[in-house]
Amino acid sequence: MSSTFQKYGGFGAVSRVVLTFYEMILDSDIVGHHFDNIDMARLMDHQTKFVSALMGGPSAMTDDRLAHVHHAIDISVAEFDEVVRLLSEAMREHGMDDRDIREVTREFEARRGFILRPGVQ
Amino acid sequence: MTGNPLTTINEQLLKSIGVGIAILRWSDLTVYYHNAAFADWFGDPRKPGALSEAIEAIRESASTALRETGRFTGEVEVKPRRRTLVISVSLHLAEVEGEKMIVAECQNITRMRELEQMIDSYSKMVERNTRQLEREKERVEKLLLNLMPRKVYEEFKTFGVVTPQLYRNVSVLMLDFVGFTDFTEQNDPTVTLGELNDIFTAFDRISEQFGVERIKTIGDAYMAVAGMPDETPDHASAVANCAVRFLRFLERRNQSHRFKWEARIGIGSGAAVGSVVGVQKYVYDVFGPAVNMAARLEVFAHPMKIVAPVEMKYDLIDGFQVEEIGAYDIKGLGSMELINVEGNLSLARSF
Repeated sequence: MSSTFQKYGGFGAVSRVVLTFYEMILDSDIVGHHFDNIDMARLMDHQTKFVSALMGGPSAMTDDRLAHVHHAIDISVAEFDEVVRLLSEAMREHGMDDRDIREVTREFEARRGFILRPGVQ
Repeated sequence: MTGNPLTTINEQLLKSIGVGIAILRWSDLTVYYHNAAFADWFGDPRKPGALSEAIEAIRESASTALRETGRFTGEVEVKPRRRTLVISVSLHLAEVEGEKMIVAECQNITRMRELEQMIDSYSKMVERNTRQLEREKERVEKLLLNLMPRKVYEEFKTFGVVTPQLYRNVSVLMLDFVGFTDFTEQNDPTVTLGELNDIFTAFDRISEQFGVERIKTIGDAYMAVAGMPDETPDHASAVANCAVRFLRFLERRNQSHRFKWEARIGIGSGAAVGSVVGVQKYVYDVFGPAVNMAARLEVFAHPMKIVAPVEMKYDLIDGFQVEEIGAYDIKGLGSMELINVEGNLSLARSF
C-alpha cells in the first residue's frame, strides 16, 4: 500500500505542508509562545521529519526522540489539539483529501502520549 | 519628494513593492527615507534604537566594503514578531545634493532559508535511509553468499537466474557423524545445534583455506566441492586436504571437549551439475555422478576414515598416504576399487 507521502508526490507535498504549518504555528495565539525562543533551523528540521513521518515518508523521528524534544515543555491538551487542528488545516490548504488528513491526524493523535507532559492526557 | 505626479507614482511604487528600501546619511546613519516593507522588517526607523541591532550586525564589514568599493551585500536576522526573518541587505553609496548617502535595498529571503533548511533535513533523512538500505543489501548479499558461491551469486544478481552448468571434473566430499541420531535423542536441541555450529564453522574455515566450497549441510551431513564454479586442476587434492583436516580437527577437539565426535568421509570424483534450485525458496545445489559417489562411499567408510575411488589415487599419492583396500560392491554404482586416504604424516603434524 502506498503511503500518503507517496500519494501526494513525496517531498514536494511535505515541504508545502510544513511551510504552511510552520507559519500557522508561529502565528497561533494558542501555541505560538512555545516557539518564541526556538531556532528556526531546529524547528524546521523537526517539523520536516515529523510531518514526513506522519505521512509515511522516510523519517528518522522515533517516539523516544519526540518525547525527548517535548519533555521540558509544558503542553496542555488544548494546545496539543490546536496543533493537530493547524496541521489538518495546512494539509487541507494544500489539497489533501479528508480521508488522508484523517489518517495523518490519527498518526499524530497516536503520539499524544509522547508530546504531552506526563499526567496530562 | 512630493508635488510632481511622477514623483508621487514613484513613491507609491516604492511603498508597495516587496523590496525594503531606505536611504541613510553616511555621516550619522540617520534614515532619510524608508518604505513600508523596510519598516515592517526593521521597525519604524524614526523610533530611537530601531535599527541599532541590525546595523550593529553588519557595521564593521559594511563600512569597510562601502569605503573601499562603494558597495556591500550581506544578511541580517531580525525578529519583528515570533518568526525570525532573514533579510539580505545590499548597500551602495550615492550622492544627493552633495551629501554622501547609503542606499539600502533589502529582500526577505526567509522563505528561501527555510526551504534550504528543509531540504537539508530531508536530504539527511534520505541519506540515512540510503545507508540503512545499503546495510540491508549487504546483509542479504551475505546471506545469499552463504547459499551459493560468489560467482553464481554474481550471475544471479545480474540476470536474475542461474543457468545450470555441467562441470566435468570436480571432486565432492561428503561427511557424516557416527551416532548423530542417538546424540540428538539424548541431548537438548540447543546442545546439538551448538556442537554442529562449532564443528561446521571450523570445517567452513578449513574449506575456505583450500578453495573448497561448502554446498550444504543436511542435519549432520556436510557436503563440499572443489572444481566448481571455478575449475581447478587440483580439485581432488583440495577436497582430500579438507577431509584429512576435518578428521584431525575432530581428533584434537575430542581431546578437550565433553562430547566426542567421529565422522565418516566419502570422496567422489567426476561430473556434477551446479544450479540454483527453486523459485521462492531457492538454494544452490550440486548433483550428478561425483555427488552420488561421495554419498555412497561416505556410508561405506569406517568411522574416522576417508574413502575414495581408486581412480583418484594418482591425483592424491604425492600429498597423502593412500592405501588400496580392494573392490567392493557399492549400492547403485556396482563393483568399485577403493582406497583409504590419510594425511601425510609430516603434514598432519604441522596442522
